[in-house]
Amino acid sequence: MVIKQDISQSIIKNINMLKESYECSDSLEIKYFTLESENELLCANIYFKDMVDKNSVNNLALEITDIKREVSKCTMKVKAETIKEIIIGFRQIKEGDNLEDLYSELLMGNCVFLIEGNNKFYSVFTSRLKSRSVEEPGSQSVVRGPREGFTEDMGNNVLLISKRVNNNSLRMINLTVGKISKTKVALMYIDGIAKKDIVNEIRSRIKRIQIDAIQDTNYIEELIKDDPYSVFPTFLSSEKSDTVSSALFDGKIVILVDGSPFTIIAPATLFDFLKVSEDYYHHFIVASMMRLIRFITFYFVLLVPSLYVAITTFHQEILPTPLLINIAAQREGVPFPALLEALLMEFTFEILREAGIRMPRAIGPAISIVGALVIGQAAVEAGIISAAVVIVVSFTAISSFSIPNYEMSSALRTIRFIFMILAGVLGIYGLFMGLIILWLHLCKIKSVTVPYLTSIAPLTNQGLRDGIIRFPFWKMKYKSLVINKSKSIKTKPKR
Amino acid sequence: MKWLAIIVTLFVLFLSGCWSSDEIDTLAINMVVGIDKSENGFIISHQVINPRAIAVGENASESPVVLFEEEGVDIDETISKFVSKSARKTFNLHLRMVIIGEEVAKDGIKDIIDYFLRNNEYRTDFYIAIARNTTAKEILKILTPIEAIPGVDLYNSLELSSQRLASTKPMRIIELANTIISEGNNPVISGITMDYKGDIIPDSLEELQKSKNIIKLVYSGMGILKEDKLIGWLSDTEARGVNYITGNVVRSVGHSYYKDDIKITYEVIKSDSKITARLIDDKPVIKVKINVLANVTNVTGELDVSDMNNTKILSEVLENRLRQICEDTLSKVQREFKTDIFGFGDTIYRKHPKLWRELKSDWASEFSKLDVNIDIIVKINQLGEITKPIFMKGD
Repeated sequence: MVIKQDISQSIIKNINMLKESYECSDSLEIKYFTLESENELLCANIYFKDMVDKNSVNNLALEITDIKREVSKCTMKVKAETIKEIIIGFRQIKEGDNLEDLYSELLMGNCVFLIEGNNKFYSVFTSRLKSRSVEEPGSQSVVRGPREGFTEDMGNNVLLISKRVNNNSLRMINLTVGKISKTKVALMYIDGIAKKDIVNEIRSRIKRIQIDAIQDTNYIEELIKDDPYSVFPTFLSSEKSDTVSSALFDGKIVILVDGSPFTIIAPATLFDFLKVSEDYYHHFIVASMMRLIRFITFYFVLLVPSLYVAITTFHQEILPTPLLINIAAQREGVPFPALLEALLMEFTFEILREAGIRMPRAIGPAISIVGALVIGQAAVEAGIISAAVVIVVSFTAISSFSIPNYEMSSALRTIRFIFMILAGVLGIYGLFMGLIILWLHLCKIKSVTVPYLTSIAPLTNQGLRDGIIRFPFWKMKYKSLVINKSKSIKTKPKR
Repeated sequence: MKWLAIIVTLFVLFLSGCWSSDEIDTLAINMVVGIDKSENGFIISHQVINPRAIAVGENASESPVVLFEEEGVDIDETISKFVSKSARKTFNLHLRMVIIGEEVAKDGIKDIIDYFLRNNEYRTDFYIAIARNTTAKEILKILTPIEAIPGVDLYNSLELSSQRLASTKPMRIIELANTIISEGNNPVISGITMDYKGDIIPDSLEELQKSKNIIKLVYSGMGILKEDKLIGWLSDTEARGVNYITGNVVRSVGHSYYKDDIKITYEVIKSDSKITARLIDDKPVIKVKINVLANVTNVTGELDVSDMNNTKILSEVLENRLRQICEDTLSKVQREFKTDIFGFGDTIYRKHPKLWRELKSDWASEFSKLDVNIDIIVKINQLGEITKPIFMKGD
């Protein structure tokens, strides 16, 4: 660590020191002014000219002129303290006594005031940094329901949440993570609903984090995860304020990181990753059907390609005769074994998906043409790939996009390859072995001390009421007891 | 150590894999097996699918199925020899039909049943039929219109005809084996033959496309087996009688006359039978009670079927007709074949096991003298969309 250099009493000395040690004389703007009364007091206003908001600085300059006039009228001896009070007014102000802090204030786009004979600096917020406005998030679109999404500004996000929670039992614990970046991290929960143990556990885990800098909530997730090697996400990420606030009401804890629009919610069970906020904005029967579709696609993503491989290479007898003849006719002349064929096509899909995200927007249509025509149609027509595989792969792809959480669908798509190899080597026997291992793993992992399969293992009545089927609100009396503190009432019985 | 264990486990799992894997395009999907007699053993025919000809969008110039045949002394040995004729492994798990030549059936089919039951390359869901007046090979040669694969055509039409017409009996291998083993029962197997109404045997695609006048495959009659040997044939109507008595009718149609000039066509929509055995003077008496639910589908002549009294007449006419069918069948089987194909022996065994022990040694002759009462109750369900015959005169 560099020893912090204290600010001396002389302005000139300070400014020279600053210029020398940080080599920033070009962009630095220094305005000297003197306040005259009984005595003369030299002050300086320092800022980086490209980083400050012009309007704020102009306002500040006007105020200084006012102050000068005011000071010249009075007959008292001018002291640094009084000046500080006058300059600042109602503004947000920071005080410091070393050069490093001064420099970092300048880097934030703030104006720093130095006063002769005073070994302190005062910085005034004039940053021109603008936050994005509140928009509909790209990752969690809904048909019905609130659309406001978080931005990179944490204060704004906290406001959005507290507006929805609208209760004085909402608590926020502020922490900083990152030895260098000193990123602000907030932990929000509702006192009286969230379990204190879990709050304390998360807080102590975050406090133990040793890292230089963090950019996003995933840094925290990865560093405090219960089973860091598990591919399954155990923190639910969300960039929508309604999802977060309803999670708070369920007794969960939300972690926000300054600079990331994504918050993470813990504890999260497997079912939380297949639920969406929209489930509660539709009639419960409709919502249950939509949820059921998502639970089915969970298996489709995992198993459809591997089932195809297993059946066509090991268990041709379980197909109905017309289907077998059809698939046999399609595979006639295809040069690859079914496993390789399926792996190739699934891999191709992954490439297309990755390319679709990374490529510049302008060449978007090119990918879809190349993907659909070249790989889909031409490969089938050329007889390199059978049409059945293309159907299987596209079906899996569509299924994977119906899983609401991107991390979960990525995890499933990753495991799918293992399942395909298992199916290609051992058939349905291998597939089921894989499934058993998968479920054992899911039983084992935890999300901040809460079992990942809570509501089916351990089985809870209330968890099931909001599990695969969403019960009507008047039937969901209590919240799941494993996660939160007390048998608090969520909705009163209808009649 | 822990990792070593995991790695070893993975090796064990994965190295044992793959041994039974077969890509679909390395399989010759066999739909029908035909078994005929030759001078020194069997002629086995396989009807194998040619997937290329069935592929969607391909120009169907090739025959959808290919016939392979092989001769040998032993069934399994002969079937194994197919490998030398085809580059693909025979895949029998989708087998639809086994056609047994009439000559083979007369000699007995025990070894055939043993082979199909013992071999794990076969499932048990295929049907068995006997090639009547021809050889299985000839049957397998014929291509069928509409349904491209003859094996599927045979399978579906056997099922349909048994459900809609009740003139056939789809026989699976397990049921066949059970009835052969059973002392008080004997199997019946449907016969398959060519209808010689056409004049061209469609054994190639050109002939199938060229001519409307082609010979078609048709199920005809029911072969009666004494244990495992074919001893004779029943006609289609008699086959229906067998099905009525044994309760195998799902649906059927027929017609009958009332007062010689009124023709009534009926459609049986539900039928079940109950066979019971009783002892009268220490002699077994079989009672067959058949409940039939029928619709009237056609009435020609002067009979107002909408009249309640006439409904009674209708059901009487139907009862008489059905009783006649059943009794004719029964007497023919009793007198001509002396073989219990109805399972009356099993019924007696279940009810009077002691008596059965005396009877079973000479069951064939006891059966031919057996007293059987057939009791038929017909209930008319619907009279069709119209009530009175619309061309009826009078009133």
